[in-house]
Amino acid sequence: MKDQARNAAQLIEEQRATINELQTPVIEVWKGILALPIVGSVDTARAQDMNERLLDRIIQTRSEIVILDITAVPVVDTAVAKHLLETVSSARLLGAEVFIVGLSSRTAMTLVHLGLDLGGVITRTTLAKGLELAFDRLGLRVVSSKPSRDIRGS
Amino acid sequence: MARVPIIRVGDILLATIQEDLHDSDALALQESLTTELERTGANGVLLDFTTVQTVDSFLGRMLNDVVAAIQLLGATTVVVGIQPAVAMTLVELGLELKGIRTALDAERGMRLLGSALGTSVREG
Repeated sequence: MKDQARNAAQLIEEQRATINELQTPVIEVWKGILALPIVGSVDTARAQDMNERLLDRIIQTRSEIVILDITAVPVVDTAVAKHLLETVSSARLLGAEVFIVGLSSRTAMTLVHLGLDLGGVITRTTLAKGLELAFDRLGLRVVSSKPSRDIRGS
Repeated sequence: MARVPIIRVGDILLATIQEDLHDSDALALQESLTTELERTGANGVLLDFTTVQTVDSFLGRMLNDVVAAIQLLGATTVVVGIQPAVAMTLVELGLELKGIRTALDAERGMRLLGSALGTSVREG
Protein backbone atom coordinates (compact mmCIF):
# COMPACT_ATOMS: atom_id res chain seq x y z
CA MET A 1 0.00 0.00 0.00
CA LYS A 2 2.75 2.39 1.00
CA ASP A 3 4.64 1.62 -2.18
CA GLN A 4 1.56 2.27 -4.23
CA ALA A 5 1.02 5.65 -2.63
CA ARG A 6 4.64 6.56 -3.15
CA ASN A 7 4.49 5.52 -6.80
CA ALA A 8 1.35 7.58 -7.29
CA ALA A 9 2.97 10.62 -5.70
CA GLN A 10 6.03 10.16 -7.85
CA LEU A 11 3.90 9.87 -10.95
CA ILE A 12 2.08 13.09 -10.14
CA GLU A 13 5.38 14.85 -9.58
CA GLU A 14 6.75 13.61 -12.90
CA GLN A 15 3.60 14.68 -14.69
CA ARG A 16 3.79 18.11 -13.13
CA ALA A 17 7.36 18.47 -14.34
CA THR A 18 6.33 17.39 -17.83
CA ILE A 19 3.44 19.84 -17.92
CA ASN A 20 5.74 22.59 -16.71
CA GLU A 21 8.10 21.88 -19.54
CA LEU A 22 5.36 21.62 -22.12
CA GLN A 23 3.59 24.80 -21.21
CA THR A 24 6.39 27.21 -22.06
CA PRO A 25 8.29 26.09 -25.13
CA VAL A 26 10.67 28.64 -26.59
CA ILE A 27 10.87 27.98 -30.32
CA GLU A 28 13.52 29.29 -32.65
CA VAL A 29 11.28 29.89 -35.65
CA TRP A 30 14.09 31.37 -37.71
CA LYS A 31 17.72 32.20 -37.13
CA GLY A 32 17.59 35.14 -34.75
CA ILE A 33 13.85 34.95 -34.12
CA LEU A 34 12.37 33.24 -31.05
CA ALA A 35 8.67 32.58 -30.60
CA LEU A 36 7.05 31.97 -27.24
CA PRO A 37 3.50 30.68 -27.55
CA ILE A 38 1.79 31.11 -24.21
CA VAL A 39 -1.07 28.70 -23.60
CA GLY A 40 -3.40 29.07 -20.65
CA SER A 41 -3.31 31.45 -17.73
CA VAL A 42 -0.15 33.14 -16.53
CA ASP A 43 0.61 33.32 -12.82
CA THR A 44 3.70 34.61 -11.07
CA ALA A 45 5.54 31.29 -10.82
CA ARG A 46 4.88 30.46 -14.44
CA ALA A 47 5.83 33.92 -15.63
CA GLN A 48 9.13 33.68 -13.82
CA ASP A 49 9.86 30.23 -15.23
CA MET A 50 8.96 31.43 -18.72
CA ASN A 51 11.15 34.48 -18.33
CA GLU A 52 14.17 32.46 -17.23
CA ARG A 53 13.84 30.05 -20.14
CA LEU A 54 13.43 32.85 -22.62
CA LEU A 55 16.45 34.83 -21.42
CA ASP A 56 18.64 31.72 -21.47
CA ARG A 57 17.51 30.93 -25.00
CA ILE A 58 18.19 34.48 -26.17
CA ILE A 59 21.80 34.14 -25.01
CA GLN A 60 22.10 30.60 -26.36
CA THR A 61 20.71 31.35 -29.83
CA ARG A 62 21.92 34.97 -30.00
CA SER A 63 18.46 36.00 -31.07
CA GLU A 64 17.57 39.57 -31.87
CA ILE A 65 13.80 39.26 -31.93
CA VAL A 66 11.27 37.63 -29.61
CA ILE A 67 7.61 37.11 -30.49
CA LEU A 68 5.28 36.56 -27.54
CA ASP A 69 2.11 34.87 -28.78
CA ILE A 70 -0.81 35.38 -26.41
CA THR A 71 -3.47 33.91 -28.72
CA ALA A 72 -4.19 31.13 -26.23
CA VAL A 73 -4.21 33.26 -23.10
CA PRO A 74 -7.88 33.41 -22.09
CA VAL A 75 -7.82 36.59 -20.02
CA VAL A 76 -5.30 39.40 -20.00
CA ASP A 77 -5.85 41.32 -16.79
CA THR A 78 -3.62 43.70 -14.83
CA ALA A 79 -1.51 40.90 -13.35
CA VAL A 80 -0.97 39.11 -16.67
CA ALA A 81 -0.13 42.38 -18.40
CA LYS A 82 2.41 43.14 -15.67
CA HIS A 83 4.07 39.75 -16.18
CA LEU A 84 4.18 40.24 -19.93
CA LEU A 85 5.74 43.67 -19.55
CA GLU A 86 8.37 42.29 -17.20
CA THR A 87 9.28 39.69 -19.80
CA VAL A 88 9.46 42.36 -22.47
CA SER A 89 11.66 44.62 -20.32
CA SER A 90 14.13 41.92 -19.34
CA ALA A 91 14.47 40.61 -22.90
CA ARG A 92 15.11 44.17 -24.05
CA LEU A 93 17.93 44.48 -21.54
CA LEU A 94 19.58 41.56 -23.29
CA GLY A 95 19.39 43.44 -26.54
CA ALA A 96 16.38 41.68 -28.07
CA GLU A 97 13.33 43.38 -29.48
CA VAL A 98 9.99 41.97 -28.36
CA PHE A 99 6.65 41.90 -30.18
CA ILE A 100 3.42 40.76 -28.57
CA VAL A 101 1.11 39.02 -31.03
CA GLY A 102 -2.25 37.29 -30.88
CA LEU A 103 -4.19 40.12 -29.33
CA SER A 104 -7.90 39.70 -29.82
CA SER A 105 -10.31 42.61 -30.03
CA ARG A 106 -11.60 41.58 -26.62
CA THR A 107 -8.09 41.68 -25.14
CA ALA A 108 -7.45 45.06 -26.71
CA MET A 109 -10.66 46.47 -25.25
CA THR A 110 -9.90 44.95 -21.83
CA LEU A 111 -6.46 46.57 -21.82
CA VAL A 112 -7.93 49.92 -22.82
CA HIS A 113 -10.69 49.71 -20.21
CA LEU A 114 -8.23 48.77 -17.49
CA GLY A 115 -6.17 51.77 -18.50
CA LEU A 116 -3.11 49.58 -19.06
CA ASP A 117 -0.33 50.97 -21.14
CA LEU A 118 1.84 48.40 -22.87
CA GLY A 119 4.58 50.98 -22.87
CA GLY A 120 5.35 51.23 -26.54
CA VAL A 121 5.54 47.48 -27.10
CA ILE A 122 4.79 46.62 -30.70
CA THR A 123 1.66 44.48 -30.95
CA ARG A 124 0.04 42.58 -33.81
CA THR A 125 -3.08 40.46 -34.13
CA THR A 126 -1.52 37.29 -35.52
CA LEU A 127 1.74 35.40 -35.30
CA ALA A 128 2.05 35.66 -39.09
CA LYS A 129 2.04 39.44 -38.94
CA GLY A 130 4.57 39.39 -36.13
CA LEU A 131 6.82 37.10 -38.15
CA GLU A 132 6.49 39.36 -41.18
CA LEU A 133 7.59 42.32 -39.07
CA ALA A 134 10.46 40.29 -37.61
CA PHE A 135 11.71 39.36 -41.09
CA ASP A 136 11.47 43.01 -42.04
CA ARG A 137 13.58 44.03 -39.03
CA LEU A 138 16.27 41.49 -39.94
CA GLY A 139 16.24 42.65 -43.53
CA LEU A 140 14.79 39.37 -44.77
CA ARG A 141 12.09 39.01 -47.38
CA VAL A 142 9.79 36.10 -48.15
CA VAL A 143 9.30 35.72 -51.89
CA SER A 144 7.15 33.26 -53.77
CA SER A 145 8.66 31.05 -56.42
CA LYS A 146 5.26 30.93 -58.10
CA PRO A 147 4.37 34.19 -59.83
CA SER A 148 0.73 34.67 -58.85
CA ARG A 149 0.76 33.42 -55.29
CA ASP A 150 0.16 35.84 -52.44
CA ILE A 151 2.64 34.85 -49.75
CA ARG A 152 1.77 37.50 -47.23
CA GLY A 153 0.51 36.47 -43.83
CA SER A 154 -3.18 36.59 -43.01
CA MET B 1 40.97 51.09 -5.72
CA ALA B 2 39.86 48.87 -8.59
CA ARG B 3 39.13 51.54 -11.15
CA VAL B 4 37.37 50.74 -14.37
CA PRO B 5 39.60 51.55 -17.33
CA ILE B 6 38.01 53.69 -19.99
CA ILE B 7 39.33 52.96 -23.46
CA ARG B 8 38.89 55.28 -26.37
CA VAL B 9 38.26 53.61 -29.73
CA GLY B 10 37.84 56.25 -32.38
CA ASP B 11 34.66 58.13 -31.61
CA ILE B 12 33.62 55.72 -28.89
CA LEU B 13 34.49 55.32 -25.20
CA LEU B 14 34.56 51.74 -23.97
CA ALA B 15 34.16 50.75 -20.31
CA THR B 16 33.99 47.18 -19.04
CA ILE B 17 32.21 46.99 -15.71
CA GLN B 18 33.82 44.51 -13.33
CA GLU B 19 31.91 42.06 -11.18
CA ASP B 20 32.94 43.35 -7.77
CA LEU B 21 32.33 47.02 -8.36
CA HIS B 22 32.03 48.78 -5.02
CA ASP B 23 29.80 51.76 -4.55
CA SER B 24 32.76 54.14 -4.45
CA ASP B 25 34.17 52.62 -7.66
CA ALA B 26 30.79 53.01 -9.31
CA LEU B 27 30.71 56.67 -8.39
CA ALA B 28 34.30 57.08 -9.59
CA LEU B 29 33.34 55.49 -12.91
CA GLN B 30 30.40 57.85 -13.26
CA GLU B 31 32.70 60.77 -12.65
CA SER B 32 35.50 59.65 -14.95
CA LEU B 33 33.16 58.66 -17.78
CA THR B 34 31.54 62.08 -17.88
CA THR B 35 34.81 64.00 -17.57
CA GLU B 36 36.45 61.79 -20.21
CA LEU B 37 33.48 62.34 -22.49
CA GLU B 38 33.79 66.08 -22.05
CA ARG B 39 37.57 65.99 -22.62
CA THR B 40 37.63 63.77 -25.69
CA GLY B 41 34.38 64.91 -27.28
CA ALA B 42 33.47 61.29 -28.05
CA ASN B 43 29.98 60.69 -29.42
CA GLY B 44 29.33 57.18 -28.21
CA VAL B 45 29.76 55.15 -25.02
CA LEU B 46 29.73 51.37 -24.78
CA LEU B 47 29.22 49.87 -21.32
CA ASP B 48 30.04 46.17 -21.14
CA PHE B 49 28.30 44.18 -18.39
CA THR B 50 29.30 40.69 -19.57
CA THR B 51 31.18 39.69 -16.42
CA VAL B 52 28.63 41.15 -14.00
CA GLN B 53 26.57 38.35 -12.46
CA THR B 54 24.66 40.31 -9.83
CA VAL B 55 23.51 43.89 -9.41
CA ASP B 56 22.07 45.75 -6.46
CA SER B 57 19.83 48.80 -6.48
CA PHE B 58 22.83 51.10 -6.13
CA LEU B 59 24.56 49.87 -9.28
CA GLY B 60 21.23 49.94 -11.10
CA ARG B 61 20.65 53.55 -10.10
CA MET B 62 24.22 54.42 -11.03
CA LEU B 63 23.69 52.94 -14.48
CA ASN B 64 20.51 54.95 -15.00
CA ASP B 65 22.16 58.17 -13.81
CA VAL B 66 25.30 57.80 -15.86
CA VAL B 67 23.33 57.10 -19.02
CA ALA B 68 21.15 60.16 -18.38
CA ALA B 69 24.28 62.27 -17.86
CA ILE B 70 25.89 60.92 -21.04
CA GLN B 71 22.72 61.76 -22.94
CA LEU B 72 22.86 65.32 -21.57
CA LEU B 73 26.39 65.57 -22.90
CA GLY B 74 25.02 64.71 -26.31
CA ALA B 75 26.45 61.20 -26.63
CA THR B 76 24.73 57.86 -27.25
CA THR B 77 25.10 54.94 -24.84
CA VAL B 78 24.79 51.26 -25.63
CA VAL B 79 24.75 48.77 -22.76
CA VAL B 80 25.88 45.28 -23.77
CA GLY B 81 26.26 41.82 -22.26
CA ILE B 82 23.60 42.02 -19.58
CA GLN B 83 23.14 38.52 -18.12
CA PRO B 84 19.67 36.97 -17.60
CA ALA B 85 19.87 37.16 -13.80
CA VAL B 86 20.94 40.80 -13.96
CA ALA B 87 18.12 41.64 -16.36
CA MET B 88 15.56 40.02 -14.07
CA THR B 89 16.91 41.85 -11.02
CA LEU B 90 16.86 45.20 -12.78
CA VAL B 91 13.26 44.67 -13.89
CA GLU B 92 12.24 43.61 -10.38
CA LEU B 93 13.86 46.75 -9.01
CA GLY B 94 11.84 48.77 -11.50
CA LEU B 95 15.03 49.92 -13.23
CA GLU B 96 14.07 48.93 -16.73
CA LEU B 97 16.54 51.34 -18.34
CA LYS B 98 13.82 52.70 -20.59
CA GLY B 99 15.21 54.44 -23.61
CA ILE B 100 18.63 52.86 -23.22
CA ARG B 101 19.93 50.97 -26.22
CA THR B 102 21.04 47.43 -25.48
CA ALA B 103 22.80 44.71 -27.43
CA LEU B 104 23.70 41.08 -26.82
CA ASP B 105 27.46 41.51 -26.92
CA ALA B 106 30.18 44.08 -27.55
CA GLU B 107 30.39 43.30 -31.26
CA ARG B 108 26.71 43.97 -31.86
CA GLY B 109 26.89 46.99 -29.56
CA MET B 110 29.66 48.51 -31.65
CA ARG B 111 27.63 47.90 -34.80
CA LEU B 112 24.59 49.52 -33.20
CA LEU B 113 26.65 52.52 -32.07
CA GLY B 114 28.22 52.77 -35.49
CA SER B 115 24.89 52.92 -37.24
CA ALA B 116 23.44 55.32 -34.64
CA LEU B 117 26.38 57.69 -34.95
CA GLY B 118 26.52 57.30 -38.72
CA THR B 119 22.89 58.33 -39.02
CA SER B 120 23.33 61.37 -36.81
CA VAL B 121 26.20 62.54 -38.99
CA ARG B 122 24.17 62.17 -42.15
CA GLU B 123 21.22 63.97 -40.62
CA GLY B 124 23.35 66.82 -39.34
